[in-house]
Formats: sequence, structure tokens, C-alpha cells
Amino acid sequence: MQRIVTFVLLLSLLATVALAADLPKLRVGYIPEPAHGLYFVARDKGYFKEEGVDVELFQFGSAAEGMAALKAEKLDVGTFGTTAPLLFISKGSDFTFIGGIMIGGQAIITRPERLAELSGHDLKVYKGKKIGLVKLSTGDVVFKGALKRAGIDYKKEVTFVEFGSAAAVVEAVKKGAVDAGLVWPPHFSLAEKNQGLKVAHYIEEFYPKYTCCRIVAPTAKVNADKETYRRFLAALIRAYKFYKTNENETVAIYTKSLKIDEEIIRNETYVKKVAESNPDPLRKGILEFWQHILDAGYVPNDYPIDKHINIDIYKQALDSVIKKSPKDKTYQEMLAFYKKNN
Amino acid sequence: MIRLLVTTVLMATLLLTGAAPGSADQERLFRLGYLDNLGSALCRIAQLKGHFAQEGLKVALVRFGDSQGGLAALEQGNIDAGAFLVGEGLRAIAQGRGFRFVAGGGLLTATGPLAELDSRVQQQLDLSGTVVFIPATGPATEKETVTRLTAALIRAYGSSRQQPDILPLGQSGADQPITRFDPSPEYYRLERLWKRLALQSPAMPADFLANHVYEEIYCDALDRLLEDSPDDKLLQELSARAVCVPDCCPKNKNPK
Repeated sequence: MQRIVTFVLLLSLLATVALAADLPKLRVGYIPEPAHGLYFVARDKGYFKEEGVDVELFQFGSAAEGMAALKAEKLDVGTFGTTAPLLFISKGSDFTFIGGIMIGGQAIITRPERLAELSGHDLKVYKGKKIGLVKLSTGDVVFKGALKRAGIDYKKEVTFVEFGSAAAVVEAVKKGAVDAGLVWPPHFSLAEKNQGLKVAHYIEEFYPKYTCCRIVAPTAKVNADKETYRRFLAALIRAYKFYKTNENETVAIYTKSLKIDEEIIRNETYVKKVAESNPDPLRKGILEFWQHILDAGYVPNDYPIDKHINIDIYKQALDSVIKKSPKDKTYQEMLAFYKKNN
Repeated sequence: MIRLLVTTVLMATLLLTGAAPGSADQERLFRLGYLDNLGSALCRIAQLKGHFAQEGLKVALVRFGDSQGGLAALEQGNIDAGAFLVGEGLRAIAQGRGFRFVAGGGLLTATGPLAELDSRVQQQLDLSGTVVFIPATGPATEKETVTRLTAALIRAYGSSRQQPDILPLGQSGADQPITRFDPSPEYYRLERLWKRLALQSPAMPADFLANHVYEEIYCDALDRLLEDSPDDKLLQELSARAVCVPDCCPKNKNPK
């Protein structure tokens, strides 16, 4: 009897392995930011496999390296910010935005003694100030977009000082070389924890639901195998529901996968909610972001970016998930969000 | 025992000061072609002021009478890189000769009454600007080596700004074009010229030109110099002009 049980178990194990081996594969690149954690939830909870896609995750130390890997076809999917894919596309690279992984997340830090001066919910407090930033980072582009929306001529009324990295921005704020600095997760949390700096504002306060890291893939691959990309996005949609409804386990998965302090992850993700892990493509947000880049004069020529955004695959993925759980509140909210932002 | 200890400490110091990482490149002679005109001045300044050595490169400058000869030498592997005319380089790339742009050089601006009357004068001069090319493959195309080459040229740009009379460059005279320097290969400038020359053929992919411009290497070189000298005004000015993919990640979180 024992032999039969062992044999059956072995057979089922082999069948599982064979099934995984038969699944279409996607090589997915990401950068180590807490809000990119949906990938790990989808992997650890088995959603990728359940949806019928075999995903291998690759961490990159810089967006430029990640985009180069995507261009060299060493990856099938990548999430490397919004600027990087836009720059590549505007130079002729044929990538398509198919989804997102992060919304929001940018913060303005300052020294504790400057906090009162920068308080309140009016961007006018930044008039006449010197702001450190990393050129073309999400914070740079979106903050300038927020200033423009608020009617502030940032080219004349604010001084921007550009640095090569978020760490250099933090250092400049600490030294007093700038009045405030724009950084992203987990840099502002680390700056608060390790350097004694303070967050003056999250840009979300002035510019709700702005786009951050987008999911892009080579257009030819997307067009050749839409079904695999739909499965991939369906798994992320289910991971989003898990993240919205299972705080402790999500924090544990993010912490284990990203090796970032658990307290920082919990704080950014669930306490202050400075960034949201969300797979929606946010088409309108991408187009606004591109316009902000043009307005800032970073790129001389417009480009038909909209031709490189595919919202249909995400919609099909969302529909397929909703079909299985038609009354699920989270999925219905995602559908409403999709309709509003695409 | 003491001698052993001293030797160990000396060796460790040598390794920590970074002498060792550059040694492979220092041993290898890097042959850099140039034209004997003002546009190639950054290459000559980098050699004169020791900027190549600062970057761990042992460079021999090889003079050429024209860009065609220089590009042919680059193609045949007789030189590792070269500073030649941008118009010639763009046409060569369009013909399938796989050169890559890694750095800029001299840019010419027309002066005098004719320039004011006829925009074609400036358009012609735009094609006579200088850029630095490497071949598509070969030992000198390794990313670290090219980044050092570019960093040395950025340093040379700094020297030219601090000391404008550093070379007896012989630029003067009425109606003579003015040369200014820019070490960036700047994709969008090259794209303008590419379009003006109508070099994009239907058979080429849309990113054909972008695949031949290694702007990210220029960005890496600039970042590296800025890390060492974050308050350097010239480097900040170049950084402000460059269109680079922003750095994203905490350095200690990079597992690869």
C-alpha cells in the first residue's frame, strides 16, 4: 500500500513539474522598490502558475541596465520606471506599455528645522526654493507637472539642482546645499531613519494617482503572444487583491524578496501608503508624463507615444478574473479605476 | 616577518587605491585617431593634460588627413577609436558600416554676413562637427574601456574651459566659424542631422540610429566623475544638458 501511495505521489510531482515545463515562459526584469512587490506575491502565492505562465524574475540595479536587457531580448517584460521606456520608445525602440506596477511614491525631504517653512498644502511654499533632484526621475517630472498645474512657472520661480543619484540628493539636503530634495522609495524612509531628515510632502498630495513604474514589453512579442501576457497580468491582478486584503503576509513577502527593512515596507505600503502597487496601465497618466517631459524641455521632439500603449490586454485579463469572481469588490474597484484612467 | 607584513600592507594599499583595476587597460595601448583640426582638440587636450592616464588608459594619438581615411582605419582595426567628422560618420553608418558614437567634440557655428543670409552655411558646418567613434566589436569596445575614454574626454572639456589657451589652436579671423566643444554624443543632435541627410531607409528599423549612439556610456562616465566631484560646476552643467535614464536603485540593493 505504502508503495502505491509513494508511486502516486511521485507521479503527481512529475506531472506538476511537466506542467510547469510546458507553460509559456516570461523573463521579467524589475528594480528593487517595495511597490514592485506584486511580482513576488504572484510568484509566492502560485498565481503565475495557476494562470498558466511560467515567470522568472530578474532584479536589476539600474533602469538603464534593465532597458538594455529588454532591448537585447534577454527579457520579455520589464518595469524600469516611466522615463526610461519613454526615452527608448521616443528613439525608435518598439516597446509597448501593457500595465503598471507602481503608482505614486515620490516625496520631498528636508531638514527638520525647515519643515515648518514648507508645511501646508500649497505648492507656493516651494517658490524661491532650491530643490535637489535626479533629472528625469519620476519625482522630477511629476513635481514639475504639479507645479505647472498649480500655475507656478517653475522655470523662473524655483531653482532646481540636478544630482546623479537619490543618495546624492539626500546628502545635499543634509548638508544644506539645497532647501529640499525629491526622492523615491525607499530613499526617503532611509533618509528619515538614518539621516534624521523629514518628509515635507508626498507629491501625491498635489498630484493624485500619478504614474510611476510601468510594465513594458517588446511590441513584436506582445503581438505574437497576447494570451501569455494576459495570463501574466491576470496573475498580477490577483496579487493586487491579495496585497489589498492580506497586510501581514504581503509585508512578509515583500521583505523577504527585496531584503528591505520590514518596518520601512509596512510604513510605506500600509501606514503612510506613499506608493501603491497597482497593475493598471494608467494610459492617461503615461501621456501626461510624456507631456511633462516635453514641457520641461528634456526632449526636443514629440513622439506618438499613444501608439505604444496597449490597454486591451489588461482589460481582457481583468475581465477574465472578474468572470471567475463577479461579485468581488476589489476587482470591481479595479474595473472602475481602469475606466477612469485609460 | 616585518618585511612580510609591510609587503602585505603595501599590496593591500595598492589594491584599495584602485591602481590594479586600471592596470589591464594601462598595459594595452589604445590607438585613438584624430583629425588635425580644432574639432579634435579634446583628444589632444586629454593626452596633453594626462586625462587618459588619469582614467587608466595608455593612449597613442594617430593623426589622419581626412575622415574617410580615419574611418577606414577604424574599420580595419588599425585604430581603436577616432574623432572624425559627424556627417561622414552618419553616412558610413547608413551604409551599414557599424560604427558607434561614444562622445562628442567640436561643434562649428557660422559667423559673418553670409551666414546670416544663408542658413545652408550653418547646415554645412553642422556636418563638419566632430564626434568620437568606435567600431561595433573588438577588444577596445569593452564597456569599461569606452567609459574611461569618454570620462577622459569629459575631463579634457573641463581643462579647455578652465584654460582656453591650452592648445595653440589657431582659431581667429573674420568670418571664420567659431568652435565650441561638447563632449556629449547627444542623440537628438545626431537625429536632426540624420533626418536632414534623409539617411533612414524603409528597410532600417526605427531605432537604427539609436542603436549606433552609446549615449548611456557618456551618462555613465559623467555619473562616475560626478560621484567623485559632486560640486563641480562644469560637470553639473553637462549633467543638466544630458538626457540620461535616471539612476533608480539604492546601491546596496543591487544583487548582480
